[in-house]
Amino acid sequence: MSKFLKAFLFVSLVFAPFAASAVTVASWGGAYTESQQKAYADTYSDPGSIVFENYNGGLGEVRAQVESGNVTWDLVDVLPSDAITGCDEGLFEDISSEIASMGVPGPDGESIAEDMEANGLNYHSGWDCCVPQIFWTYVVFYDPDAFPGEKPDSMADFFDVEKFPGKRGIHTWADGIIQKALVADGVAPNAVPTVFANQTGAIDRAFEVMDKIKDHVVFWSAGSQPLELVKSGEVVMAVAYNGRVGAANLAEGENFEYIWEGQVLDQEYLCLTTGSPNREAALDFMMHASSPESQAEQAKYITYGPMRASGIPIIEANEPWGPGGVDIMPHMPNTPERLKVSIVNDPQWWSDNGAEISERYSAWMGN
Amino acid sequence: MPIGDMLFRSVDDSQINGVFPNTFNEYKKWDKEKDVLPPEEVYKALFEELAYGEKIQIGRALTRMNYSKSGWKSLIKTTSRQIKKAVKKDELPNNYKEFLISANEKWADPTFWYAMGQMVNNTTPIYYWNALDRTYDQDQNVVMQDEKRRIYIKTWIKTLKISVYVTIFCLILGFPVAHLLANLPLRYSNLLMIFVLLPFWTSLLVRTTAWIVMLQQNGVINGILVWLGILSDDGRLQLVYNETGTLIAMTQILLPFMILPLYSVMRVIPKSHMRAAQNLGAKPATAFWRVYLPQTIPGMSAGGLLVFVLAIGYFITPELVGGKDGKLIGHWIAYHLKTTLNWGLCAALGAILLGVMLIFYWLYNKIVGIDNIKLG
Repeated sequence: MSKFLKAFLFVSLVFAPFAASAVTVASWGGAYTESQQKAYADTYSDPGSIVFENYNGGLGEVRAQVESGNVTWDLVDVLPSDAITGCDEGLFEDISSEIASMGVPGPDGESIAEDMEANGLNYHSGWDCCVPQIFWTYVVFYDPDAFPGEKPDSMADFFDVEKFPGKRGIHTWADGIIQKALVADGVAPNAVPTVFANQTGAIDRAFEVMDKIKDHVVFWSAGSQPLELVKSGEVVMAVAYNGRVGAANLAEGENFEYIWEGQVLDQEYLCLTTGSPNREAALDFMMHASSPESQAEQAKYITYGPMRASGIPIIEANEPWGPGGVDIMPHMPNTPERLKVSIVNDPQWWSDNGAEISERYSAWMGN
Repeated sequence: MPIGDMLFRSVDDSQINGVFPNTFNEYKKWDKEKDVLPPEEVYKALFEELAYGEKIQIGRALTRMNYSKSGWKSLIKTTSRQIKKAVKKDELPNNYKEFLISANEKWADPTFWYAMGQMVNNTTPIYYWNALDRTYDQDQNVVMQDEKRRIYIKTWIKTLKISVYVTIFCLILGFPVAHLLANLPLRYSNLLMIFVLLPFWTSLLVRTTAWIVMLQQNGVINGILVWLGILSDDGRLQLVYNETGTLIAMTQILLPFMILPLYSVMRVIPKSHMRAAQNLGAKPATAFWRVYLPQTIPGMSAGGLLVFVLAIGYFITPELVGGKDGKLIGHWIAYHLKTTLNWGLCAALGAILLGVMLIFYWLYNKIVGIDNIKLG
């Protein structure tokens, strides 16, 4: 065996344990993961120990890893309904006691759970395995130049093609649009989840409202598309992820207006995979990532809102918070006033009904 | 092996049967004619299996139960909590039926109990029925799915239709190109070959996005047509975010898979054959039709099968350019794999897809013969 090979083997044996001890975080990639890198990993005591990997969401890969016993992702960034299912199925580890004892408290001693409740969230089983990350929302936006006269400012306007002619950009799945339809029909935004959960026929009602604009819709399926649709004039208004609109306004010099009424707030959680090879280090990083400071820091790089309510005052007090001296608060979805006109998604209801509604929505699109 | 695993998963229902064996046993004794709700024994068995079962196994079972009817998940979860509380306090109920119904009134809703009938056996054909827009009624007879939820048959037809069209378009467009490539002197044909291969090596997403830019209403093609005066400014064509866009983009993306096998077959057809045919008195068209074309069949079949097989499983391109028509069967397989975790339905959809391919393969073998396929 050549000396070089021996040296190489020796080095890899010595360093392999270190290499393996990096905490692997599976996340969505793009600008979002970049903001996590900057706000969570770069501010962490040992930035080099955190490695981000991209995935496309869903629990398919996590289930495959846990079932086969070959777990490579320590932490996974998931949507709330996946947090619930993953926690119920044991794909994520129940760490409720660790979260309670190790979680970083807010300035007035608020716990993680208290902070989330202050944001209008209700407990679900995902909270046992996961820590909160950000609020992202389905928000309607438009280019003010497209409306020289009166400008739309409500969901009723969005669903009214006579008052505001022109096409609308809507995504190809149901979540985020059927709630808006109810708001357009007169339901108070905060009440929408309870109406869906408790009133029979609420879903039919939403589809009837959507029928009114169906012939005026361009359907999109990737997050960048609604911005292109509005920019190119293909549609006059579109539903989009607010982070994309914020980035266009802040970084690309666009001047898009938001219609905050009827925005659908959804959430992201960071969950610990069962059998994580670096459990302790991963837990420690989770607590850092869910501190109010880290979450406020993240708003600098992407305009998603901190799920820790105590993160908002940090941003407010330190404006201009954004890079290059721009104010961030105009783009934050979960300020107290905006929360009053928002729908906070009920993930438990979606994990019960999501499959059925998604089939129904597809049937509706296809007809 | 993976195919075997997939076929097995498409009928397997043993996980949930391992979690609720007694409940399902008692359930089978329930006479639906006589009693509206199942007998006390069923409620008792369910209570016990929820109280002493393994939490993770129950969690997995819930995911499965939810496929049969929306709402199972939270029903079992709220009930479990009540049961755990009662067991902790050592207060076992005298009447399990009353206890469960007071824990959650849905236990008095027979439709949940009917839905349970779908899962009481270790193997089940239900996933296949679901994949064809069918479900069970209360007596386990196969019936059509609720009209508002019927999507799979439509999607199957759409997928097949698009795949067949794309294959035909690729053949129509690819044949002349391959013919040209095969008959030009080598240095020109090599240059042209680069034009075929260059897009082939470009990322799929880049090409798809490029098509959006070209086809959208304020895009390149509509722009040129309006500039030439062929279209009026309000009469711009809707070329993308519908089926047209899907067909155009998929045809362009899959075209090299048709050209390359055709080219390699055409290159080895001696040019003397056409000349000989014409020498013997055939008109050029006849010579082409009777002499040249039959010799290209192996290339056409290879290209056609390749394009068809790729097209039938496509989902990223249609999803991006297809708008409301962009959800082909591949989309639903991915959706159930990742979002609903309904791997049984996934496997059933995959198995049907495999079956469709085998049928086409068999048809092809009957018509053309499987030995008659050549990549070069």
